[in-house]
Amino acid sequence: MPYYQSWEEFSRAAEKLYLTDPMKVRVVLKYRHCDGNLCMKVTDDAVCLQYKTDQAQDVKKIEKLQGKLMRVMVSKETRSMAMETD
Amino acid sequence: MVLLENDSFLTELTRLFQKCRTSGSVYITLKKYDGRTKPVPRKGNPDTFEPSDNKCLLRATDGKRKISTVAYSNLLRAHMDGLKKKDKKSKSKKTKATQ
Repeated sequence: MPYYQSWEEFSRAAEKLYLTDPMKVRVVLKYRHCDGNLCMKVTDDAVCLQYKTDQAQDVKKIEKLQGKLMRVMVSKETRSMAMETD
Repeated sequence: MVLLENDSFLTELTRLFQKCRTSGSVYITLKKYDGRTKPVPRKGNPDTFEPSDNKCLLRATDGKRKISTVAYSNLLRAHMDGLKKKDKKSKSKKTKATQ
């Protein structure tokens, strides 16, 4: 399971993988404060993409990508359902 | 595995991060969720439920305790903000180390 060296490539591959099968793909984030690193994994249980970092600047990138994937996951209906806002 | 409301999930997640500051990892998993509550039957009548398309499952664990929640579209920003504040603050010692 290789770690990507380039964020650009990882990000592109991750989005592409998600689009092939949204229901199968999951995103895993592992954060270790004691070691000071963050690892992001995107997988559909057949293909596995990973990116690791210890730079604070990458946290934002990882977060943005995760936010983006989240948004795509819930994209069909953008109006919120009645339950949770009350 | 504890299924929580979004707010409680955020609170518990914050607590998880704080607990793991000196040792250990926090794992967060994100996956698209279509609302099914029963496993897919091997044969018989599959798909007797209508899949809904606007939710995702969020799980977090420290290796011992597991928490989860179902997030709808409007709550995503809230989640990401909660996460960001924790990370930025705690990772400040390793800013731009190399180069």
